Amino acid sequence: MSTPVTVKPMAEPVVVGRGPSLADRLTSFMPVIALLALLTALTIADPDFLTRRSLTAAAFTAAPLIVLAAGATLVVLCGGIDLSIAAMASLSTVFLALWLPDLGAFATPAVIGVAALFGAVQGAAHVLLRIPSFIVTLGGMSIFSAVALVVSDAGTVPVVDDSAISWLNLYVATYIPMSVAVAVIVVVAISLVIKATPLQSWVRATGYSESAARLAGIPVDLVKIGAFCVSGACAGLAAVMLVSRNFSGNPSMADNLLLPAVAAIVVGGTAITGGHGSLWRSLTGALVVTLLRVGLPIVGVPSAWEQILYGAIIVAAVALTLDRSKVLIIK
Amino acid sequence: MSIDFDKQVERTAPARVPALEVRGLVKHYPGVKALDGVDLVVHQHEVLGLAGENGAGKSTLLKTLVGLVKPDHGEIYVRGERVRLRSIVEAADHGIGMVFQEQSLVPNLTAAENIVLGSEGPGVRRGIYRWDAMRRLAQEQLDKIASHIDPLARTDTLSFADRQMVEIAKVLRIEQRSQHPPVVILDEPTSVLESKEIETLFTQVRRLREFASVVFVSHRLDEILDVCDRVAVLRNGESVGEVQVAGTVPADLHRMMIGSTGSDDHYHDNVVERSDEAPAPRLTVRRLSGRTFRDVDLDVHAGEIVAVVGVHGSGREDLCRALFGAEPTTAGEVTLDGKPLDLSGTRAACAAGVGYVPAERKVEGMVGPMSVADNMTLTKQKARCSGPLVSPRKQASLVDRWIDRLSIRTPNRGTAIQRLSGGNQQKVVLARWLVGGDIRLLLLDHPTRGLDIGARSEVYRLMRELSNNGVATVLLADSLEEAIGLADRIVVMSDGRVATEVACPAGAKPTPLDLVKEMV
Repeated sequence: MSTPVTVKPMAEPVVVGRGPSLADRLTSFMPVIALLALLTALTIADPDFLTRRSLTAAAFTAAPLIVLAAGATLVVLCGGIDLSIAAMASLSTVFLALWLPDLGAFATPAVIGVAALFGAVQGAAHVLLRIPSFIVTLGGMSIFSAVALVVSDAGTVPVVDDSAISWLNLYVATYIPMSVAVAVIVVVAISLVIKATPLQSWVRATGYSESAARLAGIPVDLVKIGAFCVSGACAGLAAVMLVSRNFSGNPSMADNLLLPAVAAIVVGGTAITGGHGSLWRSLTGALVVTLLRVGLPIVGVPSAWEQILYGAIIVAAVALTLDRSKVLIIK
Repeated sequence: MSIDFDKQVERTAPARVPALEVRGLVKHYPGVKALDGVDLVVHQHEVLGLAGENGAGKSTLLKTLVGLVKPDHGEIYVRGERVRLRSIVEAADHGIGMVFQEQSLVPNLTAAENIVLGSEGPGVRRGIYRWDAMRRLAQEQLDKIASHIDPLARTDTLSFADRQMVEIAKVLRIEQRSQHPPVVILDEPTSVLESKEIETLFTQVRRLREFASVVFVSHRLDEILDVCDRVAVLRNGESVGEVQVAGTVPADLHRMMIGSTGSDDHYHDNVVERSDEAPAPRLTVRRLSGRTFRDVDLDVHAGEIVAVVGVHGSGREDLCRALFGAEPTTAGEVTLDGKPLDLSGTRAACAAGVGYVPAERKVEGMVGPMSVADNMTLTKQKARCSGPLVSPRKQASLVDRWIDRLSIRTPNRGTAIQRLSGGNQQKVVLARWLVGGDIRLLLLDHPTRGLDIGARSEVYRLMRELSNNGVATVLLADSLEEAIGLADRIVVMSDGRVATEVACPAGAKPTPLDLVKEMV
């Protein structure tokens, strides 16, 4: 239909609202600034920090965190949260350790596939039963942990022959650990797919305003289920990385990664209210969190304090990034 | 309209000290001068109307008066005494209170609790509710406005109009605080009321004048002239003048508001003659039932605008949403161009060429932080894609074409839609359904709500253009006048059923009164 509509313009200010302020702009660069500041501080505290050995160690720690945070970022962008990622990853390490002897190289895709399926089931429960994602995944967290305990007989499952996953411990271009390269590739791939397709609009609209998205005919339910599915798959991949480092699966292996992953997302500047943010931000956030983890012992802070730090930075980062215009009442 | 209280234009002893006066009020926001030297006088026992287009500074002025906005310059005097209002509580201490546009009652409390909430006084002793005292306090307030609402009724069981009465009763509690006749500000109190409720409100406003001063804000100029003694007009943050209502007609006010004469051809009546050979209707609805409507039959032809009118609770909003698949239906058949229309979800409706513009533009119509371009192409993704991928070039040319065609005033297509004015936002929302080129049926739920006269006129013109191009339109109008002005046919709904249908051709329009008697 060609509609020759002619409407005469009216006299009024072109823009009524205010654009991003200097503070807003600064906040959006905060993760990068924090990353550089941390690097500088750690180098000053311990000039040996900038050696290949300690940087590689940091990179190997960062890889599973990046992948976990990247997947969960999608859920957060849609306005939800996935608290089950760490438990899902722990369960996946057990599955992987159990399946490696039989499936060999196919164990990796199998584990990622199963984790994706579990993620999708959570997403479907969230969407179809209309339960807040926070509750669904809190339940999921408990269930996955328990399943991991049951199938592993509550113990570590050693991996005798790790030839199928040992490639993750190789180096790309002699310096970059393979697992970090894979993590970055995952971030790039997911980001590209989203950016290049209508998914970008769909995810952001769903996160900013679900009702508006629905009334625009966006397949909101599918988008959300998809986000949980990818989040699950990423937890599965993180598990593969963990097993390749630890030569075993354990029902609580990844459990201590939940808080760092959430911290990585919010430190990166992705709004917990949805809509605003990106996987790149979570990648930066994950690096910040990793530097804190490996850096605290260097400056002499006992590792027992680590959890205090995670708690504090999550609260502080959310305080900085929360879109208060959207949450009128904070519950 | 029956008038119980004569308009007391000439008062016996005109109070010399104004109840409220502001001088030279200035408020700047980054990039915007919201108030640019506003002077305003509210006399005692006076109903002062405040008129102005959107963005003229009305809201900012009102917020300044109740201490929600701190002005950059200027003075506020209450009964001749200069005051500083830093919070809504301080404003209340000086006897100034406001009934907000969005209602501010707690739905699961009783009317009495709401009325005394925040200023319980003797209603609470040693931290414990004394229901008797509270009910008495609330009753006193309700008596002031001669309302028969049960103070012990839960607020969410009251009608919208009744809740507004409760709000007024609540605001009058400030009398106890300041020991002076209060100044009551009513911010667009009629915008969501139906005509009968509006009459009750007006009776109330005239009653308030007996012991208070009232500032009355409305978009409907006829209402302002009906209920006010005097009208002050704002334009671009400045006071442009004031008039006594006697002898003033809406066009005079309109001229002051926009700085020129308003157009007579407000609704842009169709000049194109439509052939009356009546082909098969584009939309047929047969015995459609849902939660709030039953057995609805409706036909809409291509190129026809059908307005659905009805009071609050008539079920017309839900019917409109149901046709878009956004509200469940229990029975009935709907066809679009002869094919059954899938009402199971919004996605199916979009694919079938149905578009819906919701009443709550800011919450449901648009995604505020996203760009004009992304909002415009949100639904018809195919229009901006090559294969599965988004083509930025395709999107840019498409969006720019529509920005140009609809004269959307925006710095560029990348600007966040929330930074545009209401009228331009609405044009982007409408464009969303047009960019695909496959629109067959448009469902418009209060498409001009909250828009100023200039923007309304543009939306009307756009609707005309679309219907001339064969789009079928179902319109839930903002007022009966709007429905009559725009529609080719009007369907009156009452209690979830279609009460009657009224033809509404250009040149033989029914009057609002003809419709009102069918609505109740």
